[in-house]
Amino acid sequence: MVMASLHKNYFQEIFSYFRRFIDISQEEFDEIIPFFEIRDFPKKTKVVKIGEVDRYFNIIVKGLVRKYLLENKKEVTLQLSTEGHMIHAEISFNLQVPSDCTVETIEPSTFVSLSYSNLQLVYEKFPKMERLGRLIITDMFIKKDYRDLDQLKKTTRERFLDYMNNHPDMLQRVPQKYLASYLNIKAETFSRLKHLIRSRKTKEEN
Amino acid sequence: MKRLYDYIQRFAVISEAEFEQLAGLLELRHYDKKQILVNFGEIENFLFFVDQGLIRKYFMRDKEEINTQLAREGDIICSSVSFLSQAPSEYAVEALEPCRLFALSFENLQKVYSMGYNMDKLGRLIVLDWLLQKEIWEHNRIKNPPRERFVQFIRENSDLVQRVPQKYLASYLNMKPETFSRYKHLLK
Repeated sequence: MVMASLHKNYFQEIFSYFRRFIDISQEEFDEIIPFFEIRDFPKKTKVVKIGEVDRYFNIIVKGLVRKYLLENKKEVTLQLSTEGHMIHAEISFNLQVPSDCTVETIEPSTFVSLSYSNLQLVYEKFPKMERLGRLIITDMFIKKDYRDLDQLKKTTRERFLDYMNNHPDMLQRVPQKYLASYLNIKAETFSRLKHLIRSRKTKEEN
Repeated sequence: MKRLYDYIQRFAVISEAEFEQLAGLLELRHYDKKQILVNFGEIENFLFFVDQGLIRKYFMRDKEEINTQLAREGDIICSSVSFLSQAPSEYAVEALEPCRLFALSFENLQKVYSMGYNMDKLGRLIVLDWLLQKEIWEHNRIKNPPRERFVQFIRENSDLVQRVPQKYLASYLNMKPETFSRYKHLLK
């Protein structure tokens, strides 16, 4: 299949990811590839709009994507994801109901996507995928819980520094207001903390 | 065990034979009011299905208790992350009334999964439900002002208002007890 061979690397990474959870052979994995689609989006494009049903589960192979909610008219950023991570409107996708949030690209992005109907077909045709699905969702649940607790227990400064240490390139790639919103830090506080990193870096260089 | 059977059918269709086998792996446990099912730092060894009673789950933010779940008859409760990853619990789980629970140990859960992929499907859908409940709760907290969240909660959980101490309800709704009281008076 042309698409698959052009993007063989994308699928190899996904294959490695799957193998972290279950023992799946290359042959078994090759049978699933046709169910996926490659989708490209320009920057600043709404992949899922409020009120739309999210039909796709997406793995980002290139680019940067944001998920946000509206609190009155204010945008609250829920997720900022880059290469190797998944993004979709979870509630909308899994329950197949209209989305209450927006998924929008920040940079031009390429996804390996799986439609809801194809996902159900995969589960039906390959029962082993039920185990993979369970383990991936379990992993996502555990990570989400740790992240949530972390955010609640850390101070503003700790949240900022932790994030910047773990995602050093995000400061360049993501508009400041989105980062501040995601970390639940006021814009002014964020600026002040940013200078903290800069002055540290300068000290280290000198 | 009809409550448990009904709960399972909400997620996946399992045969009577499968249910029998699963039921055989459960333990019946009783807890008194105020008894701690799992404490901070302990490893959660059980998944609990509430047949009778009321249980809360909470974590500490400094000296403050934040309630994240209130489980009654027909609900599942456990320190889920600790249970699933067998890591020390960041949450405490406490009985608010005398309870009658069906408990599934971590070890027996693995036996359930070895029964076949249909059990993986059931597990997948239950953990997915937990994940989605978290998302829904988070979205509501952001989208809906406190008063609206209060009204929605009371409408869907009127029975809990009698059974649960007000301070726990306030904590669960992410509001101060005074705010909760104020809204409660507004409803009358």
